[in-house]
Amino acid sequence: MERGGALVLDGVSFAAGPGCLMGVVGPNGAGKSTLFDVIVSLLPATSGRVLIHGRPIEDVRGQVAYVPQHERVNWRLPMSAWDVTLLGRTRQIGWFRRPRPEDRDVAEAALRQVDMWDRRKSLVGELSGGQRQRVFLARALAQGANVLLLDEAFSGVDIPSQEAMVSVLQELRDQGRTILLASHDINHLAHYCDECLCLNCHVCACGTPEEVLRPDVLMELYGSFGAVPGHGHGLAGDRVGSHR
Amino acid sequence: MDLIAEVLIDPFRYSFMVRALVVSTLVGVMCPVVGVYVVVRGLGFMSDALAHAVLPGMVAALLVGASIFVGAIPVALAAALLIGYLIKRTGVREDTSVGIVFAGLFALGLVLATAFGGVAVNLEDILLGQVLGVSSNDMYVTLGLAGAVLALVVGLHKELVFSNFDPSGAAVIGLPTGRLEYLLLGMLSVVVVMSLTAVGVILVISMLITPAATALLLVRNFSRAIVASVFFGVASAVVGLYLSWHFNLPSGPLMALTAIGFFGVAIIYQGQATRVLRRRAA
Repeated sequence: MERGGALVLDGVSFAAGPGCLMGVVGPNGAGKSTLFDVIVSLLPATSGRVLIHGRPIEDVRGQVAYVPQHERVNWRLPMSAWDVTLLGRTRQIGWFRRPRPEDRDVAEAALRQVDMWDRRKSLVGELSGGQRQRVFLARALAQGANVLLLDEAFSGVDIPSQEAMVSVLQELRDQGRTILLASHDINHLAHYCDECLCLNCHVCACGTPEEVLRPDVLMELYGSFGAVPGHGHGLAGDRVGSHR
Repeated sequence: MDLIAEVLIDPFRYSFMVRALVVSTLVGVMCPVVGVYVVVRGLGFMSDALAHAVLPGMVAALLVGASIFVGAIPVALAAALLIGYLIKRTGVREDTSVGIVFAGLFALGLVLATAFGGVAVNLEDILLGQVLGVSSNDMYVTLGLAGAVLALVVGLHKELVFSNFDPSGAAVIGLPTGRLEYLLLGMLSVVVVMSLTAVGVILVISMLITPAATALLLVRNFSRAIVASVFFGVASAVVGLYLSWHFNLPSGPLMALTAIGFFGVAIIYQGQATRVLRRRAA
């Protein structure tokens, strides 16, 4: 699998293979969310391409799942963990149809895999941050996605829940899925991830945590925070307002 | 028994009351069905504005002797699009755009009604609703519109829920979230217009949001909240209609007051329930 030549902010190009848990790290405003938005085509790329399984996203819609940042979700809708997981089957069920028994079976298996079956009746808005993320992972599994993108997955999640989440993520990776995980906290990600993409309006480094955790990369990532003139053209300031 | 019959059945010896009951019930079903989305999306002001904005369309239709739907629905849809355009193109804030469009069209309607209205336009009926004056034709149009909107809301339930709950996640799996948004606004416009005869321009908002808010207070599941809100909506509409008949008062305000009555009871009930839970927890 290849993701070649996706231009985000300034010439971001990288590839993530199957069975890879890749951390996307960078300070706030580094373009992590924008990168994800471009990958899933919520935002158009000014130039360059995003290929998933060697094809544009329009051809592989169902195989990509997106776990949104907390603020992108309308928590005023009272949705149980079960309701959210079943939404993952929307594509398979089809327009004007109701969930079939097999859709319910898939949703149940997904909730069990992330260890949230016992909390299926709880409102997702009332779950802890980590449990909430696991429910959204269950939705991605119910969808049958093999490429998962998690935006700021660990913000507001305490350490024990993070670990529970990471073990779920590693299990999913071992099943051959590609997982991209954005976070501004490089220390945590380095422990969990197979590869790290260090992003600050451009790719500072990309490789295994050992390869990229160098003083010069960290300096470029966090030392130059907020002072990157000349970069950020193309997509900067062009965020979609799809949430409110 | 006689008294019950007199109160409940007597009114329906008149065909205009049967038509009023049909239209009120439809309003009681349709307003909450769309209203739950209005409540969870915070579109209350927008909906109120739509109801006010159709005034020139209604007046124009009455002046030429056409059904109010002919004038009101295009104006509602145009107002919704105009608001969307102002927000996108000029960067004027949403509530400001809504306020400008709604006040402007409402003012235009008032001027039209006063200048050319004569006997054809009864402003009080338009503003407060006069369900007793519904014609058979209007009733059938209302029935048709309600059927169409209900079919869409039920048929596209999971898509509407997904795109309103998590718009970016919905877009990623390929749902046309933009079109679903326009569909929601379109259905909102249609429901607002079909409710105007029953509750009037000023009080449509109460039938849209009060039963929905009541249901969302009591039911912790979105799909079931829709069903519960329909119950409160129909109950408010029908009780309001009876009160209107027996006390010879306008139907719209009485339906609104009944809906608010249910909401008040729900608040008290919910407060009690929370207190009991807290005591148990303590």
